[in-house]
Amino acid sequence: MKKRLLTTGIAAMSLMVSAMPVYAEGSPTEVTLWHYFDASADAQAIVEWVDEYNSLQSDIHINCTYVSREELMNQYTIGALSGELPDIGMVDSPDMASYISLGVFEDITSQLEEWGELDQFYEGPLSSCMDSEGKLYGLPQNTNCLALACNMDVLAEAGYDHVPASLDEFKEMVAATTNADNDVYGFAMCCISTEEGTFQLLPWLRSELNGESVNVDNLTAESAINGLTVLGDFVANGYMSKECVNWTQADAFNQFAAGKAALAEVGTWHLAQTDTIGDAFKYEFCMLPTGDAGTSTSTIGGENFGICSGAENIEGCVDFLKWLCSKEKEGEWAVTAGKIPTRQDATADYTYEQEGFQVFVDEMNFAQARGPHAEWPTISEAVYTASQSVFVDGTAPADALAAAMEKITPIVEETPLP
Amino acid sequence: MKENVGQKEVRRDIRNSVIAVVLAVFFLFPVYWMIQISFKSDAETFGKILTYYPREFTFEPWLVNLQDKTFLLSLRNSFINGFITMGITLVLGIPAAYGMGRYRVRGGSIFLLTFLVAQMLPASLTLTPMYLIFSKMGFLGTHFTAPVAIAAASIPFAIITLRPYFKSVPISLDEAARLDGCGSVRAFISVMIPAVKTGIITIIVISFLNGWNDLVYSMTFNVGEAMRPLTANIYKFQNAYGTKWNCIMAYGTILVLPVILLFIFLQKYIVGGLVAGAVKD
Amino acid sequence: MRKRSLSMAARKSREAYCFIIPAFIYMLLVLGYPLIYNIVLSFKNVNVKNLTKGGAIFVGFQNYIDLFQNDTFVLVLKNTFIFTIACLVFQFTIGFALAMFFYQKFRLSGPVRGLLLVSYMIPMSVTGLLGKNIFSNAGLVNNLLGKFGVSGPEWLVNTSTALIAVIIMNCWVGIPFNMLLLISGLSSISPEVYESASIDGANWGQRFLHITIPLMKGSMLSVLMLGFIYTFRAFDLMYIMTAGGPLNSTDVLGTYSYMLSFTQYEFSKGSAVAMVLFVCLFIVGLFYLRLLSKEDD
Repeated sequence: MKKRLLTTGIAAMSLMVSAMPVYAEGSPTEVTLWHYFDASADAQAIVEWVDEYNSLQSDIHINCTYVSREELMNQYTIGALSGELPDIGMVDSPDMASYISLGVFEDITSQLEEWGELDQFYEGPLSSCMDSEGKLYGLPQNTNCLALACNMDVLAEAGYDHVPASLDEFKEMVAATTNADNDVYGFAMCCISTEEGTFQLLPWLRSELNGESVNVDNLTAESAINGLTVLGDFVANGYMSKECVNWTQADAFNQFAAGKAALAEVGTWHLAQTDTIGDAFKYEFCMLPTGDAGTSTSTIGGENFGICSGAENIEGCVDFLKWLCSKEKEGEWAVTAGKIPTRQDATADYTYEQEGFQVFVDEMNFAQARGPHAEWPTISEAVYTASQSVFVDGTAPADALAAAMEKITPIVEETPLP
Repeated sequence: MKENVGQKEVRRDIRNSVIAVVLAVFFLFPVYWMIQISFKSDAETFGKILTYYPREFTFEPWLVNLQDKTFLLSLRNSFINGFITMGITLVLGIPAAYGMGRYRVRGGSIFLLTFLVAQMLPASLTLTPMYLIFSKMGFLGTHFTAPVAIAAASIPFAIITLRPYFKSVPISLDEAARLDGCGSVRAFISVMIPAVKTGIITIIVISFLNGWNDLVYSMTFNVGEAMRPLTANIYKFQNAYGTKWNCIMAYGTILVLPVILLFIFLQKYIVGGLVAGAVKD
Repeated sequence: MRKRSLSMAARKSREAYCFIIPAFIYMLLVLGYPLIYNIVLSFKNVNVKNLTKGGAIFVGFQNYIDLFQNDTFVLVLKNTFIFTIACLVFQFTIGFALAMFFYQKFRLSGPVRGLLLVSYMIPMSVTGLLGKNIFSNAGLVNNLLGKFGVSGPEWLVNTSTALIAVIIMNCWVGIPFNMLLLISGLSSISPEVYESASIDGANWGQRFLHITIPLMKGSMLSVLMLGFIYTFRAFDLMYIMTAGGPLNSTDVLGTYSYMLSFTQYEFSKGSAVAMVLFVCLFIVGLFYLRLLSKEDD
């Protein structure tokens, strides 16, 4: 009755609006860009940069919208079916392979190869924009990795005046700096049941032991079991809080910044947040001492930008990507957001925490990508579940990792890791 | 004799009131907790010691929420969600409740089963297919999109709640209306609806709440910032910087205030409405 | 005479349809397609590899068979039933006790009764966050326990206690609602019945067991049935409070289905889980209808 009239009215109106030609020939194509930058520096920067790009050319006009990360991923998933996608979309590096498989992103290999600058990009980040045949669907815009933050004051109290250089020394320091009376844990990291947890767990599982190290397709190897055992012992002995299974990386960093943890696994972007520490204590960064002396492992993180299927004016959008990931702009972004450029010819003139950034840049040489693999979320779930069962239930690491491999092996047998 | 009985009653009255207050304090303590965190400074919120009231009282978390440039816009969107959901529910639910309560219909149990079953579908089940249909219809991104989905849950609730109200309206009212020459529809509008006023006010509040509290549908069907409701701000304070509890609790209190205000005004009617609907049947 | 009343009845039936049909059609339109879509999806093997590339085939009941052989799903199913039944038991008994108390007429009974409903009005997402805050290791609950000399457990970190914390939060929300529904049931018992019983010498306990309970049977069953439906499909609370963790110990059918579909892109499996939830509720719903029709007669 009344409601039917209303619905018909709305339907009629929407039909009319969608049928109207919106712009005359020659004016810039309206293009949508969805991102999930939520740290204020990044969030502001993307808006300013999009405005800048809009003023530099008149081929496309980009409308930039913030969508919370979880919601954005849902939009991509539903969009795979409905076709309702933005023109340019931001995505976390390990997630992109799945969305490529779902057909969310457009194959832009030829346009990018014409550009001729692809060989400047680091292999790890660039691989996360590819499908299993090596075709490209976007560009990595920034990258980051994990390293160790050390509270030098607490270390000094425990008798150490330097940063740990091997796993054995690290284990000593964690034990020595734990002070239950003062509510200080030796080590803090994030082991939450999301991709963030896997991100921080992988360096320890892929660590080098006696010259050997493995990837996620072989987690029952001794080196992986050893890595997980070290972490499990930390929790069992009270050197690391069991709440790490509920902490995000931000929570873990906040523990360190509040002086509640002597050592913490932190990411490059945390360098832009060290003002929360201020002068409370002296701190230093060093590479993650995950294995034999002189070795380190880390995980590559970072965000990619891709062109979504069915985008308007793909050429114009790809031009934006090329501008965004040019060597100058990457250098700028790295400084603003506390990240690392994804190309070797970009120079980032960090105006703060220069020493810290140097550590992370060095660490990039030892950082490994996750996948890329379309079924990475399932692999990831197996990894963090195995670790959590060790921390929470006290399962033996060998058993936990064996259980993880039961889920992972069929996946990598069907589609091997690159 | 009378005095003694009176005194005993007064004492019991006081004793019960005291117990009631204690119960209320105990039960509402988490609400107090939420509100008191919202007035704490960052340092105190993350501090090592847990405090039961803010040592340093500050409006900062509230200002962060209220001064956000999209705050008024989100507030408007939440109100719109609430009102449209309420509208759809009333327009469709009231007549249906009347039909099912006042008449003996063949297949009435099928109708009832359908309405009951509709309350059983979780959002994870309905989200994607609804999106697909709305997308094909070009119905996405309007102020009506999310309420249409939300109303699908509040209409059955309205029907199941109002049906016994309509059932218990005395037939004499019906007959009196007919005698006055009213057709069915006019009888319905001018006699029946006022007769179940209590129940209707209940449905007004509950359906408004459903629209106001919605997060999933609004977020999924309307990606643009222009349409976001207040509930979407839940993501704002859990980001790369960690969880800002004081701002989140301020946000939670702001979200709940209209609910509480509405409720205080209509308390009497809600109590009556919920009670009759679920039980008298 | 009879002919006239027949056509009157027919006309009345048609009138009734006019009032009911719009809502009915609305429900069919809005929810019919999603239901069929999910039923179909649950019989296929759609996932990230074949959603848009094609190649998804009908696998019949394979998804369901796999589910029941999957340890995690069995745990999730168990969690859902434990959660629902525990919540119902506590919400109902405490709600009943509170109903008996607040049914007495004393000065503050009305206002306080109303105030208690506030916890029901708070959106579940906020309640989830509140729960996460107060049950954290150094949060309110452990702090209070500490004041009584009790060392609180690590609520949200241990698989044995996380579900308890979620149950407590859910009961906090559900108890006032139960209380309210039961007060109305109590008020439908006329006081004379009690009076004649006490004249006959019945004490409080006997009056409760032999008068209150039998006369409340109708309302008690309704409250339990409706409570079952709403609690069984809970999602927001555990999703926000614990994200189903740790180690799936607070995962229920609603959250598990969402995780399968939207985090792991196992769309068919997610639908299958959601259909299991639906079927369970449907069966309960049929029971409810049987009870309703018995009372109507």
